[in-house]
Amino acid sequence: MRPGKPTPLNDDERRALAPVLDGFIPPSDDGVLPGAGELGLAADVDEVLRREPDLHAQVVRSLAGLDRLAARRGAARFTALAAEQQAEVMTELSCSEHAFPPLLLVYTFGCYYKHPRILAHYGFEARPPHPKGYEVAPTDLSLLDPVRGRGPIYRRC
Amino acid sequence: MAEQPVDVLIVGAGASGAAVAWSLAETRMRIVCLEQGDWLKPDDYPGSREDWELSQIRDFSPSPNVRGRSEDYPVNDGASPIAASMFNAVGGSTVLYAAHFPRFHPSDFRARALDGVGDDWPLDYARLAPWYNLNSRMMGVSGLTGDPAYPAEPPKEFPLPPIPLGRLGETLARGFNRLGWHWWPSDSAIASQDYEGRAGCINAGTCLLGCPHGAKASTDVTYWPLAIRHGVELRTRCRVREITVGADGMADGVIYYDADGVERRLAAHVVIMACNGIGTPRLLLNSRSRHFPDGLANRSGLVGRNLMFHPYAIITGIFDEPLEGYKGPTGCSLMSHEFYETDGTRGFARGYSFEMLRGFGPVATALYGMAFGRVLPGEGHHRGYAELADRTAGIAAICEDLPEPGNRVTLDPDLADSNGIPAPKVTYRLSENSTRMLDHAVARGREVMTAAGARDTMVQAPLTMAGWHLMGTARMGCDPATSVVNEWGRCHDVRNLFIVDGSIFVTAGAVNPTNTIQALALHIAYSIKQRLSNLFDD
Repeated sequence: MRPGKPTPLNDDERRALAPVLDGFIPPSDDGVLPGAGELGLAADVDEVLRREPDLHAQVVRSLAGLDRLAARRGAARFTALAAEQQAEVMTELSCSEHAFPPLLLVYTFGCYYKHPRILAHYGFEARPPHPKGYEVAPTDLSLLDPVRGRGPIYRRC
Repeated sequence: MAEQPVDVLIVGAGASGAAVAWSLAETRMRIVCLEQGDWLKPDDYPGSREDWELSQIRDFSPSPNVRGRSEDYPVNDGASPIAASMFNAVGGSTVLYAAHFPRFHPSDFRARALDGVGDDWPLDYARLAPWYNLNSRMMGVSGLTGDPAYPAEPPKEFPLPPIPLGRLGETLARGFNRLGWHWWPSDSAIASQDYEGRAGCINAGTCLLGCPHGAKASTDVTYWPLAIRHGVELRTRCRVREITVGADGMADGVIYYDADGVERRLAAHVVIMACNGIGTPRLLLNSRSRHFPDGLANRSGLVGRNLMFHPYAIITGIFDEPLEGYKGPTGCSLMSHEFYETDGTRGFARGYSFEMLRGFGPVATALYGMAFGRVLPGEGHHRGYAELADRTAGIAAICEDLPEPGNRVTLDPDLADSNGIPAPKVTYRLSENSTRMLDHAVARGREVMTAAGARDTMVQAPLTMAGWHLMGTARMGCDPATSVVNEWGRCHDVRNLFIVDGSIFVTAGAVNPTNTIQALALHIAYSIKQRLSNLFDD
């Protein structure tokens, strides 16, 4: 049976998720584009994941796994670790049974590339396609002249 | 109190069910259609939401198994390299289709006579031509007459001018021209201008997620409003479990579950199946009786056999310049039938068509890029994305599948839908002929991409999530020993049972089948109307 609608991640869980998302999409080398965590996508990703309770529960378990691994290093929680140690813990978790589900990566990509700042960078308008749509220029049908000139190509039978 | 028998009971409100309902409505018979899905509203479609692209991952996936809606039924396609795709709602799979709308070629109806493969249809292109043209008017098809890949007479009629190619389409058209290959603006079931109360296309590019604008011709906005206005009753959230048979061996109605899961019976004088090439054999096989212990209308043993998909290859070109590929209908721009007809030098029988695809949206660019190993997490991510962003164009190769009895639909012994009705199981093997054809198509697709200016290509072949076209599982023919229905859709074994969906295809052609499905449905409806006084005679 599917679990009910999940409760949102708490503040510490969202803070813990941010470096995970930055690992998926780090800042660009020139610093123009932010990492996914830096962009504040933890809340967006949480919201999307909550539509899929099973997946959300897996992510919560993985976040708990980060805290357990942090505790082995003497930290109260994952977010209390320095960035370098966080990276080590994330690598260790990724090799364990509590690794983050692959769909987290998919939804992180999805949330990143619908963010207005990222869309603007790539020249996309930051809006849904409807109801405005897009203008497309009329076709130059003289392009068909060589096709017409060749004549019929269907098989007569 | 038992409900009075209806004159005609149609099962399924998709492409074919809508067409046959509309055509029969003029008889003023009492016609009821049972549809397991529901009406969708423009606001239900994700194209107006900021997260519109994410919806294809789950809620608007083409796979019923991924969506998991109660209106859908699961399909066990674990024994097939191609996954079944469909949608259950008023409009059926036309709600999510690309609306690429070409016709079969004349040679498609004579594959056995011409090439010694498959079988010949009991009718020909000329017989269907008037129904193609009627369907074109009813669906509001956009296109350009004069395509040299088809006979000039009778002319293909289009009530609307073609969908514009856009920068991406013109780029590819020049590539085809450099190679001297055929191409033509797509026949598109998308209104390029306002038509019959529907708004013209605004090039939003969300066709595969439903069209909130109503420009795409799904049958919930074309045939159904007219059919209902003419008296057809459409009952939604009604899932048929089986067709029942009387003592005389004739169909006498159905047993179905209503929206509350209550089992009901509806008696009928004529039953018409319009459930697609998987749903129809599923229901026939689930309708066992003393007269039909192996499933209804299955004395030939062919119900469920000869399942044909169209094996797909997708060739995606990567260009240096922006193509504005996210502007315009996803699957409707141009098509090429250069390799449609059999050429003995190619190493395979029959052929394939090319359907040009627009580029990816922002999210799809990342996800497809990841699938191809071009947009990876971590270091190098932004460089990979920048190389693909608005710089891709796709071509789908749609390969003709040949009928093989071993490719089939059966009932799964364990899997069931939300009403407990056995789910279909698909067993399908890609043939050697299809494999060689896919290889040829990929090579030619790369060639034309290069000719158009692509600096690199990415290929998916066969495409897994491509079981949109479901055909052949209750084939048409003159001989009851080798076919399930006759040349006007009546089951050989049950003279008041008709099939109008893709199940009755004898061969698959190499184009999207919906136009042919609907032309056949109109032909069958006309045939029924012509024979009302002696419909059940030998």
